[in-house]
Amino acid sequence: MSPKNTGVYLCSGCGIGDAVSMGSLEKIATKEFKKSCKTNACLCGEEGLETIRADLAGGVNQVVIAACSPRAMTDRFRFNGTQVIRTNLREQVVWSHPANDEDTQMMAEDNIRIAITEAAKSTPPEPKVEGEYSQVVLVVGGGHSGLTAAREASKAGYEVLLVERASQLGGMAAKWSKRMPVRPPYQDPQPNTVATLVKAVEADSRITVKTGCTVAKTSGMPGRFTVEFSDGSSQTVGAFVVATGWRPYDARKLGHLGYGVSPDVVTNVEMEEMLAKGPVVRRSDGKAPGVVVFVQCAGSRDPNHLPYCSSVCCGVSIKQALQLREADPQVMVYIVYEELRTPGVAEEFYRTAQRSGVIFIKGTVKTVDAALTVTVDDAMLQQEIPLSGVDMVVLATGMVPNSTNVEAEAPEVEEEKLRPLKSDINPYAPFAVAGTGAPPLTPPEEKLPEGAPLLNLQYRQGPHLPMLAHGFPDSHYICFPYETRRSGIYVAGPVRRPMDMGEAAEDATGATMKAIQAIHNAAYGLALHPRAGDLSLPIIGLNQCTKCRRCTVECPFGAIDETDQGFPQVNSTRCRRCGTCMGACPVRTISFTNYTVDMLGSMIKAVNIPDETEEKPRILVLACENDAYPALDMMGIARHQFSAHIRIIPVRCLGSVSMLLISDALSVGYDGVMLMGCKPGDDYQCHFIKGSGIAKERMSKVGDTLKSMALEAERVTVAEVSIADSGRLPKVIQDFVEMLDTFGPNPFKGF
Amino acid sequence: MTTMSPTPTRPYDLGFTRWVYQNIDGGDRMALCMQCGVCSGSCPLSTTMDNGPRKTFMMIRAGMKDAVLKSDTLWNCVSCYNCVVRCPRHVPVAYILHELATLAVREGYAPARTSETNKFVKGFTWSFETFGRTDERIISLFYYFQDGFVAGIKKLLAFKSIAFAFVKVGRLPLGLPHRIKNRGELKKMLAAAAAIEARHTAGRK
Repeated sequence: MSPKNTGVYLCSGCGIGDAVSMGSLEKIATKEFKKSCKTNACLCGEEGLETIRADLAGGVNQVVIAACSPRAMTDRFRFNGTQVIRTNLREQVVWSHPANDEDTQMMAEDNIRIAITEAAKSTPPEPKVEGEYSQVVLVVGGGHSGLTAAREASKAGYEVLLVERASQLGGMAAKWSKRMPVRPPYQDPQPNTVATLVKAVEADSRITVKTGCTVAKTSGMPGRFTVEFSDGSSQTVGAFVVATGWRPYDARKLGHLGYGVSPDVVTNVEMEEMLAKGPVVRRSDGKAPGVVVFVQCAGSRDPNHLPYCSSVCCGVSIKQALQLREADPQVMVYIVYEELRTPGVAEEFYRTAQRSGVIFIKGTVKTVDAALTVTVDDAMLQQEIPLSGVDMVVLATGMVPNSTNVEAEAPEVEEEKLRPLKSDINPYAPFAVAGTGAPPLTPPEEKLPEGAPLLNLQYRQGPHLPMLAHGFPDSHYICFPYETRRSGIYVAGPVRRPMDMGEAAEDATGATMKAIQAIHNAAYGLALHPRAGDLSLPIIGLNQCTKCRRCTVECPFGAIDETDQGFPQVNSTRCRRCGTCMGACPVRTISFTNYTVDMLGSMIKAVNIPDETEEKPRILVLACENDAYPALDMMGIARHQFSAHIRIIPVRCLGSVSMLLISDALSVGYDGVMLMGCKPGDDYQCHFIKGSGIAKERMSKVGDTLKSMALEAERVTVAEVSIADSGRLPKVIQDFVEMLDTFGPNPFKGF
Repeated sequence: MTTMSPTPTRPYDLGFTRWVYQNIDGGDRMALCMQCGVCSGSCPLSTTMDNGPRKTFMMIRAGMKDAVLKSDTLWNCVSCYNCVVRCPRHVPVAYILHELATLAVREGYAPARTSETNKFVKGFTWSFETFGRTDERIISLFYYFQDGFVAGIKKLLAFKSIAFAFVKVGRLPLGLPHRIKNRGELKKMLAAAAAIEARHTAGRK
């Protein structure tokens, strides 16, 4: 590679030139760093871009742009593969600080220093593409979600392999007599269309169907998963859509609601089968029921059974009640509910049932006895009422995700592997930060899920898909739908969260699109969400590696395996490029070509630290580029002012912040360090799942380092910042600055 | 002429509920009540009612005929129609309460006969049937003296100061009550209304 020739370009537009002295900024680049530097009044305009393009033709091969936020004008400042380093003069300097002020000028100058230092330490990454990549989408589960996913992938031109555990396609949805309305006017039950979908899949030449078959073993990475099946065959696939669906909650545990006590107490699934077969009759005497009571939330939203709402049971009961009333208008139907939840547009459906004479009772069913007396605690009348003369009781039971294969035996797990496995499976477990001693929280009982793993992943992190709350293998449901915390494996349908057929079809389509992205990106060495398109990969210096395994333990996506010798081995297309391994490595031998501990350390040290007598403290903010950095930008856009003593350096994820950076910053004289990142925990918003949690965990251990430097532990803090926090941030920063003032300056200044 | 409403034998018997849905004006919309409580929340008099409209509707669903027809909710409605205007499911709440009050009278439920509102309404009706106009003095006197002469005098004295204050500001006219012209026409109108009601009630199942 030819030697670096860096050109620095300053923009004086958008008020930058009016607020800071461009001449002094140019001098930083030309005098301090000996780089060529040009200023333009509108760098993103055609004239400005032409200047840069002309220099590129003249030999410049790396561009440093000091203008607006790196999040703005990304399409303008893109020069055909040339590395571009951006620094922020607009949102975070001139828009959020007083114009023509000494401190504002110093901040702008330091940002130039940081950017030029970054440019010096960074080289553009090369894409890692090796061998063949498969274009096949493997859909696990042949129910409504799986069938839809297969059809969608096929329509997009991809080969599909559809694997179904049962002997025929259709899944649970094939049993339904009718389905809830999915089209305007959303009023009446609709015919079940699963059979048509099965036919379409069977007729599709791009879809290969394997029934009576499960996945026995999965290894590899997106674009190159090697999958072995229970029938002994194996195949290479590009990505997974896991649509294994759900099973009804075990009603035998609901003895207090009469299940198993009387044959005329049935579940909603059994009722559905009765409706599909023909006229509904009582199991006990074969007579048509005259009075039917639906019990909502049977075992749902109950801490002793299913603690969550399955969202579809209310709609299903309305549908079944309408079907019963339609078959026999004389039948009396009661629906006893706690809250009638009709998500989507099912409100019209609810009205149809009310109009047809179904009686809705708001209350909780306490017991159902053998004589079918339903005792209702009526919330509206505030009294307990025994409902007698009932012929049939239908329990609206909830949905349990098939996140494991409960029909198969759970495999034996070696004792040694059990602990990390449990902590990765259990959402309530504290983050495993290797080498930091005892966990800070007492975790609830950790246990492996029942049944065999769905995909039996041959990953160092264990065979299961990691699960979030209540055993659903989901990631954050709003921020990252369909993600599973295992790259290239996406979940769709009721295995992800309880949902009806209409939602499941949408879900399957979404997950299929994600799978196609994974297949496509893998073949070009491009990263997946959230650093979509990134080419960099962690490089591990094996000659320094001590085999401590911290990187393999902490990797949020299970991207790093261990070789037989115990060395870490990165599976390139599984990696999301967050840098958590880099932050974890105690010998700092993990780095990216354009992101290293050394680079961040040099950027931190590039800032000019004034002498303590000048009373100009310096505070380092390491901001997560996904949430905190845009929130800081938005502060500027809203013209909120904040302290000019702050120096902001974006990081890929707080998980990539090495402890070394903190001690580096304090030893060169920063008065405090603030880490800004997303919310950790089981309702995390971290784009890399546990990066911010790990950072918090690491920083709780930083006290000892500070103590050895005779500094106050409060000088280092972690702030939770969401993207919507721009209004709150000025106060967060101000409070920290004021607290640091009470400590006085860092005594290490000037060393 | 009327069919009596069925009396339920057990809680949540739908017999009475369905009868109300089919025979009370606006009852068909009552099925759409989702128990949100906007009616009771909007009612200026709900604090004086034992149940309020929302609970009354739920009690009808639960087949609690006796409790519904004996309740004072039916009699404390002042017809402000806030509930009718605000009901998100367009249930004509106030109309239904009036109908239920009529039902309570017809089927002989005690509170109807002893209800203050019922006595007041009698005075009101007598006033406009006789004079073609409502006259506050006549309505008040009619209402005061229904429970006997002594009780009437007592009530009259209790309201003495208010009455004088009204006279002072010209809100209580002295002199003979006004009669409308052509009272014969009014009689015809009232007779026609009675005929319509009779036809209506006879049509009930």
